[in-house]
Amino acid sequence: MANARVIFHVDMNSFYASVEIANHPELRGKPLAIAGKAEERHGIVVTSSYEARKMGVRTTMTVREAKQKCPQLIVRHPDFSLYRRTSEQLFTMLKDYTNLVEKASIDEGYLDVSHWIHRRHPLNLANEIQSRIREELHLPCSIGIAPNKFLAKMASNRKKPMGITVIRKRDLPQTLWPLPIGKMHGVGPKTEEKFSLAGIKTIGDLAARNPDAIERKYGINGRRLHDFANGWDVRPVDPDSWDRYKSIGHSMTLSHDTVDLKMIYETMQQLAGKLEMKLKREHVASYELVVMIRYHDWKTITRHKSTMQPLRSRQEILNLAFSVFQANWSGEAVRLLGITLASFQAISESTKQLDLFSYQNDIQTEELVDLIDRINDQFGENTLLPATRLLNKKRSESPDSGC
Amino acid sequence: MQELQDSNPNAALAMKCTVQKDKLADAVNRVMKAISSKTTIPILTGVKITSGRDGITLTGSNSDISIQTFIPLEEDGNENAVVHTPGQIVLPSRLFSELVRKLQDEDVHIEVDSRFIAKITSGATEFSLNGLDPEEYPNLPIINGSDAFRIRKDLLKDMIKQTVYAVSVTETRPVLTGVKWMINDGKLSCVATDSHRLAQRSVSVENGEDSGTHTLVIPGSSLNELSKILDDDDEQLVDIIMTTNQILFKSNNVQFYSRLLDGNYPDTSRLIPTESKTTIDLGTKDLYRAIERASLLAKEERNNVVKLRAEGNQVEISSQSLELGRVFETLVPEHFEGDPLRISFSAKFMMDALGKLDAQSVRIHFVGPMRPIIIRPIGDENILMLILPIRTF
Repeated sequence: MANARVIFHVDMNSFYASVEIANHPELRGKPLAIAGKAEERHGIVVTSSYEARKMGVRTTMTVREAKQKCPQLIVRHPDFSLYRRTSEQLFTMLKDYTNLVEKASIDEGYLDVSHWIHRRHPLNLANEIQSRIREELHLPCSIGIAPNKFLAKMASNRKKPMGITVIRKRDLPQTLWPLPIGKMHGVGPKTEEKFSLAGIKTIGDLAARNPDAIERKYGINGRRLHDFANGWDVRPVDPDSWDRYKSIGHSMTLSHDTVDLKMIYETMQQLAGKLEMKLKREHVASYELVVMIRYHDWKTITRHKSTMQPLRSRQEILNLAFSVFQANWSGEAVRLLGITLASFQAISESTKQLDLFSYQNDIQTEELVDLIDRINDQFGENTLLPATRLLNKKRSESPDSGC
Repeated sequence: MQELQDSNPNAALAMKCTVQKDKLADAVNRVMKAISSKTTIPILTGVKITSGRDGITLTGSNSDISIQTFIPLEEDGNENAVVHTPGQIVLPSRLFSELVRKLQDEDVHIEVDSRFIAKITSGATEFSLNGLDPEEYPNLPIINGSDAFRIRKDLLKDMIKQTVYAVSVTETRPVLTGVKWMINDGKLSCVATDSHRLAQRSVSVENGEDSGTHTLVIPGSSLNELSKILDDDDEQLVDIIMTTNQILFKSNNVQFYSRLLDGNYPDTSRLIPTESKTTIDLGTKDLYRAIERASLLAKEERNNVVKLRAEGNQVEISSQSLELGRVFETLVPEHFEGDPLRISFSAKFMMDALGKLDAQSVRIHFVGPMRPIIIRPIGDENILMLILPIRTF
């Protein structure tokens, strides 16, 4: 009993739409969709209110499709700075209850409330958190209560909006196992198909399989899913995971140990190119770089460098990485090189101090930036956004988070 | 021999002098600016004292800069020092400067023997210090070039203050850690830039006509130290002598040597816009304070961004922080001309530039949201401050 854990998973219900409604009460009870570039017909619904969902509106529909399903649909542009501010308020509030709060995304998080159970019933505590969020932020959420993170996540998904669901281990045969395998957190369409072909149709089917056979066939991830299906999940609630996750790196072993600067430069160029692609995919800029040098004798050094200027392009990454290399290289033969980027900021929020010797390169986008500023000035902040901000937002939302 | 010397101190005497304590303390204090405890040449941690026929010279150096101060035996009819036996010695600088400051009597007697042991007495206090062989002290650069000009001390100090703040503090482009001086046709132009902002000032100098055109780059750190040791008798002139790798500043009883930076300083003149799309005149202090308030919030964010919006004869300064909130402030310009404009820039850079200007009002030229901002004090065409804006994505 001593190490029994109580984990809450707090999941905001259709977060973006709910935040809009909280800030614009006239929208309450109406079908609302948040969509990018709605004036163009290809605008895509990023989220919608429950009223809109009842009419058949779904995330990733085009605005036109959504309007066919629901002619009275109100379409709003996203205001990400507002959503982010609201999210910060939410997590600050959750930290009133415990320091063990793990932010899983902008609108969901885990709380380890084990230390509360001697004083308060978990249901009672969940009720208080849910009503506080309702009263102070005017936002609905669902809370899952379980002995671990996986089950808590599955529980919060059971009842939306404004649900509180408990899953105990002994309930698994009734609550979890009958569910189709595709409903399991961590099982995407591809895995679902693979399982399906192997005759695994429900979570219960997976739980009943031989774990070693699963691991042989589906690897370590299959083994993990098998554990989850049986209600085993020992992952701690980790308050730092949100920040720690934020680093990307690549390394490359050279074809032979070398002191040839040209070869070192070209290797770093390749690494920087890969990192540039990742940055572009994540729509972030980096403000910290780590260079790793492994010498012929496996002696390895890593050196950090923070920067005021965002790193975005291959050339920017390469220049900084190579200067860090040169400043720290002992002159011995190099076996492996690595570059890691950290301290990310969404491109939409990053800023760049222009440079006297290169500002003329940045000027190319000046007219556009100026135009966006003027329009936002006239019609309100975030009327026009670079498409990267919309992409950025879609990525931060997992397809099954239901917000 | 040893016995003979010990029994007859005068025979071993290497230097003997008496100096007024205040004069000595002042001179030591100045040369200390050049002395670093982190030097690869151990003797440079010391201060060199030379007693000559006209007075006493103190020397400190860190091989980048060297400072020499001179205490004349007599000045304005007052006796500063007496030299009984001319000679020289190198003494540990930090200890020596501290003990001189702490002595109580008006006069300090220094007596050095041939083993480089210095006896320093003042009133009832007697110190014995182990010195170093002055022959091992490196020679100062010999500068007897004819390329020279003169400038008023207060003007020199102003020029340094108004440009040196903009030098680069990183070694990415070493030449940008210096201030470029160009002497041409009786005019001295100074430019400094760290590539994000730039400061430029020119003045007329005396005798500059004869010296032809010279371009040199002086390390920013040297100019900072020079500014500290120049005292405040503003009317005085400073003689400046240039060679290909050294510059010497001579003022009164102080000589300041600095090495010059190698490398070509980039031509910045073609990067400074000459047109203006929006021109605003504002009170220097009003603008400074508005930016200062806005920066209270901006400080928390990367790059310290404040926004300026100029429209309909109004200037709005604003900034925001996701955690802390927002601030808006409206200023009414003394003069407004041109297109409406929105621009973001670093609060720190703007305050650094405005803080160096004495004029009541400034005229700011904008060319576009991603082009240099130019700030000039109204009434002085010889000063130009430039900052690059911040691009938001």
